[in-house]
Amino acid sequence: MLERAPQQTLGDGSRPRPVTFRGAGFMPSGGRLSGWIALVLVIALWQFAGSAGWVNPLFLPAPSAIAVAIYKLAMSGALWQHVSASVVRIGSGWLLGTVAGVIVGFAIGLSTLARGVGITFISALFPIPKIALLPLLILWLGIGEEPKIATIALGVFFSTAISVYSGVDAVPRNLIRMAQSFNVPFHAIVRRVIWPGALPSILAGFRITASVALLLVVSAEMIGAQFGIGAFVLQAGNLMQTDQLLAGVVILSLFGLAVGKAINVLEAKLLHWR
Amino acid sequence: MTKFARLALAGLLAMAAGGIARADDAQKAKVGVLRLSSSAPVFIAQDKGYFREAGLDIELKFFDAAQPIAVATTSGDVDFGITAFTAGLYNLAGKGTLKVIGGMSREKAGYPLIGYFASNNAYAAGLKTPKDLAGKRIAVTQVGSSFHYSLGLLADKYGFKLADVKVLPLQSLSNAAAALKGETVDAALLPISTARSLVDSGGAKLLGWVGDETPWQLGAVFASPKTLTNKALVTKLLAALARADREYHDVILASVKDGKAEINDKTKPLLEIIAKYTNLPVEQVIGNCAYIDPDGKLDVKNVGNQISWLQEQGFVDKGFAADAIIAKEYVKAD
Repeated sequence: MLERAPQQTLGDGSRPRPVTFRGAGFMPSGGRLSGWIALVLVIALWQFAGSAGWVNPLFLPAPSAIAVAIYKLAMSGALWQHVSASVVRIGSGWLLGTVAGVIVGFAIGLSTLARGVGITFISALFPIPKIALLPLLILWLGIGEEPKIATIALGVFFSTAISVYSGVDAVPRNLIRMAQSFNVPFHAIVRRVIWPGALPSILAGFRITASVALLLVVSAEMIGAQFGIGAFVLQAGNLMQTDQLLAGVVILSLFGLAVGKAINVLEAKLLHWR
Repeated sequence: MTKFARLALAGLLAMAAGGIARADDAQKAKVGVLRLSSSAPVFIAQDKGYFREAGLDIELKFFDAAQPIAVATTSGDVDFGITAFTAGLYNLAGKGTLKVIGGMSREKAGYPLIGYFASNNAYAAGLKTPKDLAGKRIAVTQVGSSFHYSLGLLADKYGFKLADVKVLPLQSLSNAAAALKGETVDAALLPISTARSLVDSGGAKLLGWVGDETPWQLGAVFASPKTLTNKALVTKLLAALARADREYHDVILASVKDGKAEINDKTKPLLEIIAKYTNLPVEQVIGNCAYIDPDGKLDVKNVGNQISWLQEQGFVDKGFAADAIIAKEYVKAD
């Protein structure tokens, strides 16, 4: 049971009691500065620990060393080769996975047969670690761009399909019933009622799958890639060049931030009715 | 009060002395190794008690790749590491966190270890000898690995440029084997242990052995600078290893013919020890006996060559040479 503040019952009970406003809180607003200040503080502390010699630069290179590594990479021109190779793979893999995922997700959300078959297969195949399939993917698709894109597309597909069909399931039934009672045709219900209703959770799914695509680019580029941020991170790890390793990681997380911002814009555009 | 203090002090001293005496009985140390027959002397020294007889209590820590052993030695998780030279190892050593103290396995003519393998299609199209690898698509595990360096040596030997070869790092042996079997690469450098089943099942063709083409110093014993300050420990370990090196060389390597060791009354006990530690049947162990110098010598000149090659390729930071990473007081140079 909830505890209540002790009430002071007044003798006469006729005068209204002033009550302080209790409705505040539970609404975290996006502070513009606090996030950046925390980030700057952490980086400053990290740099200080590095320059003061508290940590071995081999085990944790200082931010300045990482910045130098990124600068050198950019100056040599290799950075653009790596970034563009990865962007192509991430972009096409994500797009393929998303299109397939949205189609399958809608099918599962709308048809009984597709639901029975689709959910069984998704549950069976989703938990397979894609890295374990790498040798098979190489046998099936070779070592060109196809297996790299397929690795990313597979990872994106399942999460998208799941978020789309749960989004379709979550569309209020009374809205659909109302449209039906006005004799709105099926395709129009899908387009005008279900699609916008499911869009918030589809976009939330995009936020996850975009990160999944970034995570998978490293495993995708295990397959004989000469360029790409994932290949660069792997090579730096193999050669124990820890400053370059972290430089690659920083670039990947900048990617993540950029994608997050892009989805914010998309949400503001598509969900302005909320 | 003073009496009591004296008594306590005497007791403490006695305990400390006892502690030292016991530590002298058996110095503890951890050794990081791979479960490969290229570390055979370590297994022999451990199993036949050579470490114990030298006054050491050695615990073997098993790893599944060469690189983590170097990292674990740097971080102090193991006191000694025994594995192949890699670019990563040199990068760690160049920063002064590791020093080489002895030699281990070598690529040498007559002792198959790493081989060049061609896919069936490429073989049919005329890739028949290691010399033909120029201009082909070749799978290796990682950039700067033993396989990559072996390919560089081959390029030097036959006068083709490594840049003309398309080197594809596939990160693992199973990926490289899959690419070879799936005909997506022309050739791959693989250790005999991985390649044997592939060749036997007709999935690839053997072109030759690295040891026959370009012998080089593949593996070494190394330690962190902290371990090196304990001179007694290092000397004892190297002495026990040298004893096992000698036995391995005189018994097993002496019996190797056509790349295979003989199974007889003398070799069998040692082969069984290696089989036990590498989790392989004896029939497979006899086919991949790495050459190891009987005195544990290190080919210092080749180590210098490896470093300068890797520096030229940009895989190892410039600014140090072999002298800087070799502990001269322990290494027996070849």
